[in-house]
Amino acid sequence: MTVVEAEPRSTATGSIRVRLRTPARRRNMELALLLFAFALSGAAVTLVQLGALGRVGTTVLALCALLAILLLGLHVVLRVVAPDADPFLVPIATALNGLGIAEITRLDIADGLNGWDAAGIRQIAWAAIAISLAIATVIVIRNHRILQRFRYIAMFTAFLLLVLPVIPGIRSPRFGAYIWIQVGPLSFQPGELAKIALAIFFAGYLVQARDSLSMVGRRILGIQFPRARDLGPILVVWVLAMGVLVMQRDLGTSLLYFGLFLVMLYVATGRLSWIVLGLALFLGGAYAASRILGYVGARFDAWLDSFNQTIYDQQGGSYQLVQGLFGLANGGMVGTGLGQGRPDIVPLAESDYIIASLGEELGLVGLFAILGLYLLLVSRGFRIGFTGQDDFGRLLGVGLSFVVALQVFVVIGGVTRVIPLTGLTTPFLAAGGSSLVANWIIVALLLRLSDSVRSQPQLVVEQDR
Amino acid sequence: MGELTLLLLRLGFLVLLWVFVFAIVYALRSDLFGQRARRIAAERTASFPGEAPAASAPASAPAPATAPTAHRAPPHAGAGTAKRLVITSGPREGMEFDLPAEQLTIGRSSESGLVIRDDYTSTHHARLMLWNDQWVVQDLDSTNGTFLDGERVTVPTPVPLGTPVTIGKTSFELRR
Repeated sequence: MTVVEAEPRSTATGSIRVRLRTPARRRNMELALLLFAFALSGAAVTLVQLGALGRVGTTVLALCALLAILLLGLHVVLRVVAPDADPFLVPIATALNGLGIAEITRLDIADGLNGWDAAGIRQIAWAAIAISLAIATVIVIRNHRILQRFRYIAMFTAFLLLVLPVIPGIRSPRFGAYIWIQVGPLSFQPGELAKIALAIFFAGYLVQARDSLSMVGRRILGIQFPRARDLGPILVVWVLAMGVLVMQRDLGTSLLYFGLFLVMLYVATGRLSWIVLGLALFLGGAYAASRILGYVGARFDAWLDSFNQTIYDQQGGSYQLVQGLFGLANGGMVGTGLGQGRPDIVPLAESDYIIASLGEELGLVGLFAILGLYLLLVSRGFRIGFTGQDDFGRLLGVGLSFVVALQVFVVIGGVTRVIPLTGLTTPFLAAGGSSLVANWIIVALLLRLSDSVRSQPQLVVEQDR
Repeated sequence: MGELTLLLLRLGFLVLLWVFVFAIVYALRSDLFGQRARRIAAERTASFPGEAPAASAPASAPAPATAPTAHRAPPHAGAGTAKRLVITSGPREGMEFDLPAEQLTIGRSSESGLVIRDDYTSTHHARLMLWNDQWVVQDLDSTNGTFLDGERVTVPTPVPLGTPVTIGKTSFELRR
């Protein structure tokens, strides 16, 4: 496990120099799992074409091979600049990304799209950009503590990114939500990147402020509640979340930001009262919004009464939700097989409803494997957060992985009718450049964190018995 | 492409997907069940059949009890930051290693930078941090305390070069 290099060197003090060296074991493990992930993705792309067309085209496979080379580049870079980084993050992200590309390609086949029109090809191009940015992040940020200095810049960046989609000229409302911007032919969802900036800002801010937020307060019903004047930050973030809900008309993003702050606040202070207060605030806000704002109310109706014929037929009603459920039901336990279902019936099957498409073709068994991959990814992130040795790193690690977990919950919960449906993307799987870029940068930051917090004993002193 | 082949490929893919999940779970089992730090220690003792050098070291090593003044003689040496940590008494007396870049945690936990397991150490006992090119020792509310030159450390305290820091039965000092 650990190699001990001992060179009994007689120095002036006559002491013995001990150096512990971990060989590149983690990186070798990463390489093996990465090759496995390539095989898995390749098999998925091949099966999709076999199932849908009965033959295998080489274009998508060749482009995937280029992505694989880029990922091997990331692996080599990690060997040099972050040899102790977590070995599981990159293979898991690769497998999810590959499955996503395969299913998007499958939907392109169903829709008869080719070349640059095909969402699958664009997804591969975005994946290339995202992985390159992840490589750049790992190289440029050599120590996560530097990010703590940029917490206020991160705050302004996040604010700017949140405001961008409502600025006339570049805003690009789609499906009733103002979360896209369009500059020339490029469209982007700035909110995806804002979640990273917000995680950095919250971590930096809470490291400073947590003492005043956790020490004082009255005890009511066994839970210590904070003082009224310490409620400022949570109210500000609540107003921000509600602003997103009203201005951008997007419930999911609003829930994502508020949930992120709440969990980081809880991790920083260890006080349950923040969760109680926060949930009460958010549920109150969401309930009020469902009464006042028409589109939120429509989402709630579609969720609670999906199979009502009038709601099903209504514009913006439950048609998509119900078709997604039919797709999942059609998939059953083992699925219809890749390329053999009809996932293209659902609107937006390649982005918001990718999980229903995969659920139809891979079945419950496949869907649970995908959820298992997310679970492993998030648990690695939490693990990195908990083993961190500085408070900022801990909070950042927990925040970044929680934001992925919450997003998966909001999307899959929406598709499976656990919570009202919202327009968030499934991390790594869904078609969408901004989402891929943001999530690969999160992976890069977690890799950097795990390298600098990886604590190996330099020396073990044990009592001789 | 026959129906049967497609069926087999389809089920095969699901199996492959789950094998991938379990390959990761299998690979991270050491994290789930804890590292076998004890075995590392055993391996080390095995690779040191020559406890002899350590045994012969005391000739010069027990010095810290009396020598600190000699070590501290050049007070301006403090301008240079300590680079090494030397165990001056205790079971691993005479060992030394290079200090990490920013901080070193000390405690019973196998995640500590310096793992000390005796009857007196706490899981997260203390840590050394580099503040403005000066190593500072902070006691992490340990049960039995951290002692700098015999004084119990209550607030983060700078550690001058060559001053003994005692945790449990182990003392160490920082050197350039």
